[in-house]
Amino acid sequence: MLDLLFDASFMASVPRFVTPILLAALGGALCERAGVFNIALEGFILTGAFAAVLGSYFSGSPWLGAIAAMAAGIAIGLVFAEFHLRRGGDAIVVSIAINILAAGLTTYLLRAIFDVMGAFSDPAIVGFQPVRIPLIADIPVLGRVLSGQSPLVYVALLAVPAVHIFLARHRLGLRMRAAGENAAALEAGGVSPRRVRLWALVGCGTFCGLAGAQLSIANVNLFVENMSAGRGWIAIVAVLLTRGRPLPLFLIAAIFGTVDSFSFRVQGLGLAQQFTDMMPYLATLMVLVALSWWRKRQTA
Amino acid sequence: MRAVLSGITVRFGDLVAVNNVSLTIEPGEIHAVVGENGAGKTTLMNALFGLVQPEAGKILLDGNERHWASPQEAIAAGLGMVHQHFMLQDSMTVLENIVLTAEPVGRLGFVDFARARRLLTARAKAHGITLPLDRRVDSLSVGEKQVVEILKLLYRDSRLLILDEPTSVLTPREKERLFGVLKSFRDEGRAVVLITHKLDEVMESADRVSVMRGGHLVSSGPLSATSREEIARQIVGGGLPAPRQRTARVAGDTVLSVERLEVAGRGRTVGPLSFSVRAGEIVGIAGVSGNGQAELIAALTGLRRPLSGSISLLGRPIEALDVEARRRAGMSYIPEDRQRVGLALAASISENANAGRDDRTAFTRGAFLDRKAMARFARMLIERYRIRAAGPSVPAATLSGGNKQKLVVGRELERGTPLIIAENPTWGVDIGAIDFIHGELLRLRGEGHALLLVSSELDEILALSDRILVMFDGRFAGEVSGAEADPERIGSMMTSGAAELLPEVA
Amino acid sequence: MRKHIYRTLLAGDLLSWLGVAGAILAVILVLMLMVGAPVGEALQGFWSGAFGGRRYAYLMTTLSRAAIIIGMAVSVLLSFRAGLFNIGGEGQLVAGGLVAALTAILLPGPPLLVLAVSVLAAMLAGALWALLAGVLQLYVGVPLLVGSLLLNYPARYIASYLVAHPFRDVPSGMLQSHLVPQETWLPYFPGTRLDIGILFIAAASIFAVIYSHATLHGYHARLNGLSPDFARAVGLPVKKLALQTLAMSGAIAGLVGAIAVFGIHHRYIDGMLVQPLYAWTGIIAVLLVGMIPWAVPLSGFFFAAVETGAAGMERAAAVPKEIALVIQAVIILFVASRVSGALSVSAERKGADDA
Repeated sequence: MLDLLFDASFMASVPRFVTPILLAALGGALCERAGVFNIALEGFILTGAFAAVLGSYFSGSPWLGAIAAMAAGIAIGLVFAEFHLRRGGDAIVVSIAINILAAGLTTYLLRAIFDVMGAFSDPAIVGFQPVRIPLIADIPVLGRVLSGQSPLVYVALLAVPAVHIFLARHRLGLRMRAAGENAAALEAGGVSPRRVRLWALVGCGTFCGLAGAQLSIANVNLFVENMSAGRGWIAIVAVLLTRGRPLPLFLIAAIFGTVDSFSFRVQGLGLAQQFTDMMPYLATLMVLVALSWWRKRQTA
Repeated sequence: MRAVLSGITVRFGDLVAVNNVSLTIEPGEIHAVVGENGAGKTTLMNALFGLVQPEAGKILLDGNERHWASPQEAIAAGLGMVHQHFMLQDSMTVLENIVLTAEPVGRLGFVDFARARRLLTARAKAHGITLPLDRRVDSLSVGEKQVVEILKLLYRDSRLLILDEPTSVLTPREKERLFGVLKSFRDEGRAVVLITHKLDEVMESADRVSVMRGGHLVSSGPLSATSREEIARQIVGGGLPAPRQRTARVAGDTVLSVERLEVAGRGRTVGPLSFSVRAGEIVGIAGVSGNGQAELIAALTGLRRPLSGSISLLGRPIEALDVEARRRAGMSYIPEDRQRVGLALAASISENANAGRDDRTAFTRGAFLDRKAMARFARMLIERYRIRAAGPSVPAATLSGGNKQKLVVGRELERGTPLIIAENPTWGVDIGAIDFIHGELLRLRGEGHALLLVSSELDEILALSDRILVMFDGRFAGEVSGAEADPERIGSMMTSGAAELLPEVA
Repeated sequence: MRKHIYRTLLAGDLLSWLGVAGAILAVILVLMLMVGAPVGEALQGFWSGAFGGRRYAYLMTTLSRAAIIIGMAVSVLLSFRAGLFNIGGEGQLVAGGLVAALTAILLPGPPLLVLAVSVLAAMLAGALWALLAGVLQLYVGVPLLVGSLLLNYPARYIASYLVAHPFRDVPSGMLQSHLVPQETWLPYFPGTRLDIGILFIAAASIFAVIYSHATLHGYHARLNGLSPDFARAVGLPVKKLALQTLAMSGAIAGLVGAIAVFGIHHRYIDGMLVQPLYAWTGIIAVLLVGMIPWAVPLSGFFFAAVETGAAGMERAAAVPKEIALVIQAVIILFVASRVSGALSVSAERKGADDA
């Protein structure tokens, strides 16, 4: 049974599931480090997924789809910034509103633009083609994991060290960490924490937009209502668990993504779909419980 | 750099925090700005530094009128400020903290840490300061953090330095060395502004002194033209309250007894600590804050579980009890942070006053509240503790600092428990409230209650305590009886590593 | 420093509120024009969809929906006022609805007894589901916000599994349980299609107002919500308060689930409590009025009217009814960002005191 599950095609599917969670979590990490309690990742991803389909459908290019997704993510980030940073709304309240807004707006626009309900698929939606990396593709098993993925998978992988270095050594990264830790000190030094946080939200929108694009125009070529399906929340858990540090974040996202692809894989093996659907959330809860318990023991 | 403040007025809502103040800060001088809490010293300097916008008045630097849109502009013009609360990022290294907001950037906006390190090392050396640049700030002592703040200004080559109450966290030896460094800044031709409420510091280091009271400038001139007594009079605007006399008293039975108590602290264990407090005495715990006092208090009150050791109250072990049970066993607690711990600011005065009352039946009927009885109790506190308030139903947030503290003190003291723990009970309140609170604490001592007073204000400890324990680095460094205590003796017990970072004073 | 912290809806200056209203209307108008809807007919459709209909049938639908939303709002209100960010109302609602339906189907006995036992069982199920999140926070260290939310998903899928497999009404062809006995259905008000479930919700709302303002427990829970450090320092039993409050909150959500079963659907249908986003609408109904207990029923009714009105707009002018979600979200963004100051712990005004 186990070898049935852990075959090469399962291994090859893992990066597809890890990538959306990882990208969204990197976006969430920027907010976390900059002191924005953004729990609207779900809405950010959903918006990105919809915009990617829209962009690809009208331009015929998945790249323009991805750019549209990033633009939409940034736009929703700016909405967040307007109501949280400028008007002073509570971050949790604004997040809840944005999640509802994204769910409503994508469904509304789906019906308004394409006149369909539930799901939209069309040959005109051009998805990303797998990238074959020479040499690496020929390695047995590992070759199928590392090569032949969508370009966004590689973007996500490169983004992990990039965000790490950015936070450690870049001026804006340094200031983001300061805005998240002691914003008053940053302000006393003459730098507006709000402006720094605005950039964090822009970055978050960019990453979450790409996460959505991976869902809608790389993993499949269609948009389904509410297709983020809780991944934003799982990404938030990953961010909270790692306090927004990119390298551990990668590890957690990899675990969550693997469970996600595992649950996808065991569908059709006789297990009721409800149980496989439940798996990612239960796994997230269990990791959360295990790590919280472990941390409690460390500090006690 | 010469700074001229002319006719500065700052208003917060209805409150005029600074009222038409004019003064000149000369280069090559240490200029002390003194006054009690709320006199407007910090606000005035915040206006000079661009943190608050004055409603009226002009700021001239070397003869040119300047307007700051943000502190960034003031910093760029050569001003620097060390705030009363540390403006540091705990999880960052010393170097990262120093360059933050003034980062030397290389390509693509990445920070050139090597360049910053070279520059900083050279400047620090010139003033004899040493500091490990790669240590994380949260591993530093409070004194060392103060040095980081000074280095920030040095790195920015500030020509006018403002220090807001810089000595409140320093041991006497650190304080001495800090003033040495400030004098070397002065001798280089920098202007130094020292905001303080401690007269000793003024007399010891200032060249010029300005006194503020109630938002007004009372006087400004060279130190040589005034005297300690005159400054003191100007600060309070009239005669000082007579110093309190502790009547001699024989302490009674032991109320609180602590044996080999150990508590987990930040990165280290606090303790083992053993001491006792008897009925009718005030035991003062002196020491620079951050040396384990907070952990000790948390363990005594039940807010934090101790690692080991025993605590007994009236002979009964209480270390396993929770906060509520300990309070019922006979303990009251005046916390340091009235904004977060002492009060629920958004709740009404009445709701704050009745929280944690032991005699629940007095203000409830079954599961329901008796709002009238609650208000009656609150009104009684307002009257007895002279709290200036619009009434029991207004939010606690509307009270001034001193009146908030009186509400906390009143609520706790009114319980009349055998043991009272007071943690910096007069921090940041005006002289009138300080005097009142000290009077209350002494009254309870006279009535035979046991009091444990933790304070980082040495004057407060000396004025009230029958016995003094000096806390340093999580342990008691020594004990002195109140009668024979003096600042030098206690100061010598607070040895600290931070003093080593600053040069010795010849 | 925030200017609007103590500013309430009534005290706010009229002009800027008009600006807010204008902005919200502009968003709605743009969306309607996008689908080329005739604005006049759409508005008429909205009005009749929310409040009209033959013998006020649509108004009854609005009231029925309002009952569910208000119930969920009251549930989260109790948690939020105590500083507990329980956003797992959906899981608690589902647990209640599922247990109510299964108990009524499986339990023999006189209908009234079955109904009573089923409702109590539903409340117990909701309370236990909420307590699970509370235990995770207090004893394991999983933040309530994420713990309660993540527990929504197991509840949703367990319920889905049970009505898809062991308890499925197979002949119906749908993913749903069998009907509960007809004698246990909540009766309608005479001459209407509105069930008496709304009376239970009215009772819960009155309970919430009295509990919040007049009881010792409500007073202590609120102090804990305003400042947890303060509550601990004055010796309030904070853990017990948190767990009891969560249990109450969950019990009310469970009650709402039972009312949806006995009053509206008469069985458990997969997704019937999840798809309409009842729990989330309840949350925003509380946020809209800045957690003032007596105002919660009004805002719950308002949001229900937006939803049924949008359905009416779809019938009358082919405007997709999902516009309701957008309207609700935009209202929350504009309004709650002005009144939510009292919600957060950050309501403590720092610096004003000791500057």
